[in-house]
Formats: sequence, C-alpha cells, structure tokens
Amino acid sequence: MGLHRKINWSFVLLYFVVILCSSFSNHENVLYKNILKKVKKEISKVFVLEDFELNPVQIQPIKELTADFSGNRLLEISSNDIKLGYAYVGTAPSKTETFEYLVLFDNQFVIKKAKVLLYRESWGGEIGSKRWLKQFLLKGTNHKFIYRQNISAISGATISVKSMTNAVNELLSSLNFLIQNKII
Amino acid sequence: MKNQIIIFSLLISFSVFSQNSSEKQMLNLQTMATGLKIGGYGEITYNDPDSGVSEIDVQRLVMLFAYKFDDRVSFITEIEFEHVKEVYVEQAFLNYGVSDNFNLRGGLMLVPMGIVNEYHEPTTYNGVERPSLNNKLVPTTWREMGLGVYGRINSASLRYQAYVMNGFISYNGAYKLKGTNGLRSGRQKGAESVGSNANFAARVDYYGLPGLKFGLSLYNGKTQTTDKSVVGSQVGLSMIGFDARYVKNRFSARSEYINASLSDTDKYNLASGKDLGSKMSGYYVEGAYNLLPLTARQKLDVFLRYEDFDTHAEVAGNLTKNESFHRKETTFGFSYHLADGAVFKMDWQSKGTAVPDSESKGQFNMGIGVFF
Repeated sequence: MGLHRKINWSFVLLYFVVILCSSFSNHENVLYKNILKKVKKEISKVFVLEDFELNPVQIQPIKELTADFSGNRLLEISSNDIKLGYAYVGTAPSKTETFEYLVLFDNQFVIKKAKVLLYRESWGGEIGSKRWLKQFLLKGTNHKFIYRQNISAISGATISVKSMTNAVNELLSSLNFLIQNKII
Repeated sequence: MKNQIIIFSLLISFSVFSQNSSEKQMLNLQTMATGLKIGGYGEITYNDPDSGVSEIDVQRLVMLFAYKFDDRVSFITEIEFEHVKEVYVEQAFLNYGVSDNFNLRGGLMLVPMGIVNEYHEPTTYNGVERPSLNNKLVPTTWREMGLGVYGRINSASLRYQAYVMNGFISYNGAYKLKGTNGLRSGRQKGAESVGSNANFAARVDYYGLPGLKFGLSLYNGKTQTTDKSVVGSQVGLSMIGFDARYVKNRFSARSEYINASLSDTDKYNLASGKDLGSKMSGYYVEGAYNLLPLTARQKLDVFLRYEDFDTHAEVAGNLTKNESFHRKETTFGFSYHLADGAVFKMDWQSKGTAVPDSESKGQFNMGIGVFF
C-alpha cells in the first residue's frame, strides 16, 4: 500500500514537472500564440471574414532580400481556395528592445493595414497610434517612405518611427524583388 | 489507478505539445533574448560668458543599464557622473507590463513635467544648455521615488502616466527652498530621502495629429519635512505644465508653459528668512530649421529660442518681488547632428531680467553630445 502510494505520488509529481517544463520551454510559444491571435483578429477585421486559411509562403534567403522571411513570417490568406492577400509579421528594433508589427496586403501587394502587435519598451510606443500607421496604407511595393517627408515625425519616438519606416521600406523593396523575379 | 494517471498525463501533455507544434508551423518568431542592454548619454560643454571665467566641463556622463527578465518585466537604471567626480543614480525602476495598454512602474523615476525633464538627452533638444526654464522652474533632472501606472491607448493616440511620488524637501534642520531657483535645491534624488507627505504626478500626451504632440502635466502635493511641528517648514505645491512639439519636413518647433502655485510661503519665509515666491510661471518658444535635405544622413538645425519666466511671479506676505528673478533669455545657434545620436552644438545667449534699465548678459556656448 505504502509503495503504491509512493508510485502514485511520483506520477503526480512527474505530471506536474512535465506541465511545468512545457510552460517554461514554451515561453516563446505563448508569445507567438498571442501574436498569431492578434494577426487573425486583424485579418478578420480588415478582410471582413470569419473563416479563412493561413498558409506560410516559403522563401529561401537571398542576399537581395533585406526583409526577414524566416520563420514563416509571410503568410498567404485565402478563403474557400480563393487567394485574398498576404500577412507579414516583422520584428524591428526600438531603442533597447524589439517590437513586432503586422502588414496586411491585398493580392497585388498593396498595403491594407499596418499595426504594431507587441511593443515592449517604455519609450517610443507612440508608433502604435492608429492615426500614425494610416500613413502606410494603400501604397504598393514601388513606394518609398521618407521620414519627415511622407511619414510624419512623432516627438519623443524618433528611433521607433525611423525603425518602423525603415522596416516597411525594406519589406516593400524585398517583395518588389520577389515579384520582379517571379518568386511570388 | 497508476495506468490511468499515466494515460491521463500523457494525453494532456500530448495535447499541449501537439497544439503548439501545429501552430508553430504558421508563425515561428524568435523572441529577443533576455538579459542586459547598455546605453548612455553624455555632454561635454564649453561656456564662455561676456564677463567672468569660461568653463570647460564634462557636464554629464550617464550609463544606462536595462535588464530584461522576460517580456513583461524589466529593470532600468541610469548611473550618472556629473562634472566627472559626482556620482548619482538618475533613474532606477522596475517595469511590469500587465497588458498592452497598462504597465506598473516603481522606483526612482523622472517626474513627467514638461518636455525636457523626461527627454533630457543632448540629442533631443537644441542648445548646449537645457532651456533655463528647465533649470529654475522645472528642476531638471527632477526625479524622485515613486510608484504608479503608465501606458498607451493606440486607438486614441494617447499616452498616460500617473504616479504617487515623494516630493521636494523644504526643511531638514535647514531650509532648502529659495526665490532664485524655487524648488531646485529641494530635490532629494532618492538619496536617503525624507518622506513626510505623498505627492501626485500625472501626464497625458496626445499625438493624434500628424507631426504634432501635446502634453499636459500635473503635479500636486506638499513638500517634505523632518519635523512637521516646526511652523512654516512645509509648503503646498500645485504645478501644471502644457507643452507642444511640431515637426514638419525641415521645420520643427516646441514650447513649454509651466505654472507653479505654492501655498504657505509666507509662513515658510518668516520661519526661514528665505524669499520663496508664491507663484512661479513662464514659458519658452523655439523654432528650428534643418539646412540639410531630408534624405541626408546628417541634420543641421539652426534654432532660435525665447524664454520668459519668473520665480517671483507672485509673492505672499511681506516679501517684495525681486525683478531679477524675472528672466528673459534669447538663444540662437545650431545643432549639427553628425549621426543619429551624435551632435555638435554652438549657440549665443542673451540673458536679461525685468529689472528696469538692466543690461543683458551675453554668453557663448559650444558642446558635444551623444546618446546611444
């Protein structure tokens, strides 16, 4: 009886260790789950859809690509086998941290939405402003955003404003390269 | 029983893992590693007044250490060397991100009053020296111990901060506050500070209009004393600040307005023999134009700033106004940003007062500033 009890307790313990370990090792998973949830919510809103599919677009690294396409950051959005557009989740630096942002495109790679998904640093978070992010809308892959010219400055958030502007420029020029070379 | 537990635990674990692995195919992001980040800022200045001796000084060298425990918890501290030999802790606080819009913060923090107290790195403002208003009215760098909340509301383009903080010390055996620089000598800087009365500081920033940012700062409370039974050892303080910044193409402008009302200064002055005003107020306006094209890597801002502030805007009791505390200053110069975070500055200042027939004093300044 005593031995049985010991075994049972050891399994309960083991079970908790497994769960505990999974919660530790999956800290990143929690992050991408939250981000994925936000991405899906945004797609629903922008494309006015309840059901849709997301499929990763695999792109091999080439030196001409300044944007990062690893980790399935570019996703194709489709519904009932009809291609609707693309979602790109990027990571860019703020002063001492990084932030995650989303750019939604239509089929022709025209920007339908730009959003900051996760901003970690105390300073510079002003770039999350919906009003400010509107400046990126309706532009195609040939467009170049220039800080203070066609992208307004935000006092106190200069580093993040420049970083986001630069990130979107790199994404557009990379997509342009992929389109020109018929890779996508 | 044993088998049931095994199967149960395996099932649960499997479901946890399988869900993750299938979703992981969708989006596989690397989080930024936890750990230490180092940054800092510094200013080396040369001041040459018309009359008197010129000064060359490593005015400030500040090392920033940011330690990230995880995505929600971080600690930020700035260790400051002033004039090479004085060491201070400028900031030391723990951040806890509760949600995207709501964070907690506690420790030694900057008081969110006006523009320059929070953004005081040399690459973020024009002029070798910070605006004089940010020395005499807002005693930059004004920091105290505190605890509170901050966050942003993206849909409304708002940033908010609200803290309960420790306040200026007015009496610790000696009386600290006086007319010429108001509250400046009462800063406790978190060093074995006296906490007799809690103070409240709050600020809202609105950035919903392109290129424009408005700020409203409030501060309310009472100064600190080591002995509340000493009549006149404390004064009440209510400060309000309004500021605006505008950037469009090569033009930029900013302005700060500060108004501080102090109560019981008559009792304080009677007890201390000091000359603390009952109202301090003033403003500055500044415009700048970048002479280089926007596509250039560098930036060359020429600027003009006018300041008008008075630490004796009103006085209480028998005290007579000291007109020399009503300053009127003009600064003209340039900030040559060699790279993001590295600036060479030069300016000329004319410092006058409201004293009738008084002559303005001139000063030439030159400086190097870095922020990384």
